[in-house]
Amino acid sequence: MNIIIDGKEIEALKGQSILDAALKAGIFIPHLCSHPDLEAKGGCRLCSVEIDGQSEAALACKTMAKEGMKVTVNGVKAEKIRKMAMELILATHPADCTGCPKYGKCELQSMYQYLGVSPQRWRKKSRIVANNDSNPLVSHLFTRCVRCGRCIRACQDLRGVKVLDYIRTDTGICAGVPGGKTLKEAGCRFCGACIEVCPTGSIMDQVKIMKEDRSYTDNIVPCQSTCPAHINVPQYIRYIREGDFDKAAAVIREKVPFPETLGSICNHACESVCKRSELDAPLSVCKLKRAAAVNESGVWKEHVRKEPATGKKAAIIGAGPAGLTAAYYLAKKGHEVTIFEKNEKAGGQCRYGIPSYRLPDEILDREIQTILEVGIDLRTGIPLQTPDQLLDQGFHSVLVSIGTHKGTRLPLTGSDLPQVSVNTDFLKQARQGETIYTGSRVMVLGGGNVAYDCARTALRLGAKEVHITCLEDEQQMTATPEEIREGTEEGVILHSACSFLEITGIDKVEGVEIQKVKKFYFDDRRKAVIELEEGTNQVIEVDHVIFAVGQKPEGTEEFGLELTHGPYIQVDRNLNTSMKGVYAAGDVVTGTQSVIAAIAAGRRAAEEMDLYLGGDGDISEKFLDEEIPSPYIGRMENFADQPRMEPKTEAPKLRTAGFTMVEQPFTCQQARCEADRCLQCDLRLQLSKPKLWNEY
Amino acid sequence: MNTLDKVKNLKETECIVDLLLKEVRANQCQTCGKCVFGYEGITQLEMILSDITEKKGRSGDLDLLKDLSETMNTQSLCETGSEIAQVILTALKIHSAEFEEHIGKKGCKAGICRKFMTFHILADQCTGCGDCMDACEEDAILGKTRFIHVIDLDECTQCGACINACEEDAIIKAGIIKPKCPKKPIPCKR
Repeated sequence: MNIIIDGKEIEALKGQSILDAALKAGIFIPHLCSHPDLEAKGGCRLCSVEIDGQSEAALACKTMAKEGMKVTVNGVKAEKIRKMAMELILATHPADCTGCPKYGKCELQSMYQYLGVSPQRWRKKSRIVANNDSNPLVSHLFTRCVRCGRCIRACQDLRGVKVLDYIRTDTGICAGVPGGKTLKEAGCRFCGACIEVCPTGSIMDQVKIMKEDRSYTDNIVPCQSTCPAHINVPQYIRYIREGDFDKAAAVIREKVPFPETLGSICNHACESVCKRSELDAPLSVCKLKRAAAVNESGVWKEHVRKEPATGKKAAIIGAGPAGLTAAYYLAKKGHEVTIFEKNEKAGGQCRYGIPSYRLPDEILDREIQTILEVGIDLRTGIPLQTPDQLLDQGFHSVLVSIGTHKGTRLPLTGSDLPQVSVNTDFLKQARQGETIYTGSRVMVLGGGNVAYDCARTALRLGAKEVHITCLEDEQQMTATPEEIREGTEEGVILHSACSFLEITGIDKVEGVEIQKVKKFYFDDRRKAVIELEEGTNQVIEVDHVIFAVGQKPEGTEEFGLELTHGPYIQVDRNLNTSMKGVYAAGDVVTGTQSVIAAIAAGRRAAEEMDLYLGGDGDISEKFLDEEIPSPYIGRMENFADQPRMEPKTEAPKLRTAGFTMVEQPFTCQQARCEADRCLQCDLRLQLSKPKLWNEY
Repeated sequence: MNTLDKVKNLKETECIVDLLLKEVRANQCQTCGKCVFGYEGITQLEMILSDITEKKGRSGDLDLLKDLSETMNTQSLCETGSEIAQVILTALKIHSAEFEEHIGKKGCKAGICRKFMTFHILADQCTGCGDCMDACEEDAILGKTRFIHVIDLDECTQCGACINACEEDAIIKAGIIKPKCPKKPIPCKR
């Protein structure tokens, strides 16, 4: 149907209000208490308009459009009501706009500037309500409340959580939590809908949640934005909650070809930014990923991208997570992909660095097999070839993704003794089941996850006593708290904040002299400064030392590519190396990072190489039909008190007896319970963002 | 009796502004907050009426009350707001003189609004004992022993301490009609 607003004919739908029809057609009618996603109540009267044939002004938000209706927005009667309403609101609203966190983004501020009114002729009153910053996620500043009720309708009707309502304070009525309860006590699910719909600065995200260097969306859903591959974390957690592991796995697979690997060993940066950590503990995102991966049946395969052959050939040097990922997406874009791998098997650090008690061969074999199924020529046991050699062989583009497989041996006295190993060799040989020297008393030098990998591997190879020494204190150590805890459970003795001075012994290792660190920091030039504590020297008697103090690329100096910081390959923003058509990605570029970062880099490389090979650079995949989750989340008893689920782990004694996997996956029931803890931050992004008048 | 009837049948001992203020303070709109004209309207009514009873009424207040009440009448979300607006409009119509007297600082005819009352010491009752002077914290009472005391109306805060202190019942409150009293202390007749 058509209606006429200020002489302009616009289209309106049946059952649509005058306000909605006008805003849809780009005609601005002032409004404050109405919100596109909430039922109109008509309390603010700002949307008053005049309708031909009606003596009194009517509300645009509550009046349904009728065929041929003639509406005047700025008639005398309507303007009077609108202006008086705004004056009355302003008369009791704090006047210090510039001191308000919502300054410049405030709907009230925008609306009164549009109306050009001031509360001058009315009596002023301040309704001061104490700010409540006790909740770590939501800040309540109800002195600024205008009682529009949007937060209340969002909480009560839209979300069904029923926490917010009108409350009485000493200074008047405002929105709040009845009964003096905290949000947690009242059953808040911290979905943030109230924050999203508040037109003023009354309900805000806590300042520390909103990082300045991130976009608004990235701040709202930090798990997804922090994940290097930007996996849609809230979406797959939602499917797990619903018990639909197939769909959950499909969501993960849209971004990464290694769900179960990541579910086992990911460094899960997503968890460190999970907003639920502010309440108790983060969602167990990583382990939920594993639960999805082990319970799926592979229905996503039907939707995999498969483009016709392009006749272009790509070579990948190194079959680690970066190389395999790039190969996977390039092959699906129709390119002929060959991977050259020096080792006997594909997998890179996943195969030869990460011990099998964390990531068994079966998982890796299964996921690599699935990748190869798209049609990739994997050649293993091939000596390293240089990019120009491969270009000469007829490859159109080359990716260097050889990782960092050379361990660092520090120039310490005694470091050349025969019983001194380096991380990479030790772990690789252990993984290959080769007989390697393992002492009965072992000292691992280094404080990262790899140090723990070495220490725990040594225990499994029969060492009686294993020590770790690192410069950092326990808080500064790069090893994850889980690794430290599991290592301690298995008997690893940690000497944190200690310097290792020398390895003692003439022909064989007899011990390591260590000394307490008083201070350890990096100076302005990023040089490590170590201050030692006098008189704290001691020699730990050991017969085997393993260096786990970093690793770097091997063989890059032969590649004829520009290098940086020693052996690392220099690339530009688009992963181009100094040689045309040759790209590099993963640890060989960034230094040792994480499997997920390598996978993300592999995707980036595939996009760029596809563009170079004449494709459109679009490797994205949709395995699921678009589904809009229900905004109604309802109440859940003791929501904020649901403890983080822990999967079953073997007893430490049994673990160190061999290389079986330490941790069981979540049961389906555990996974669904854990998924229930999600705050569903992403639902906020579904809410309409009201446009300000100057945006019409 | 409902509020409208109270307004229509105002007793001589009742002040219309004071009565409306009490009604506004007890109104349900005070505890709701769901609509601007109900909640902010009642807030303004209370502040304006309260000012008028406290001798702080402004010249435009009658127009403001009328303007507000007319809009409140049609724009409140429920009848609670409309009804109190209608009461105000009726009162403005039939008791405009009383409003004018308050706003013009002339006085409160019913003698209810304390700020409009003045305190006086009756010359034929005062014994010049000085008790009222001792009780007055503002030092607003002039005089000396055996001289009729006089209240300086500019200094007086209408606290009433002198009335309680006077054993002769010589001090009275007055509304619009004031008793004749000496301007300066003069010797006592009693």
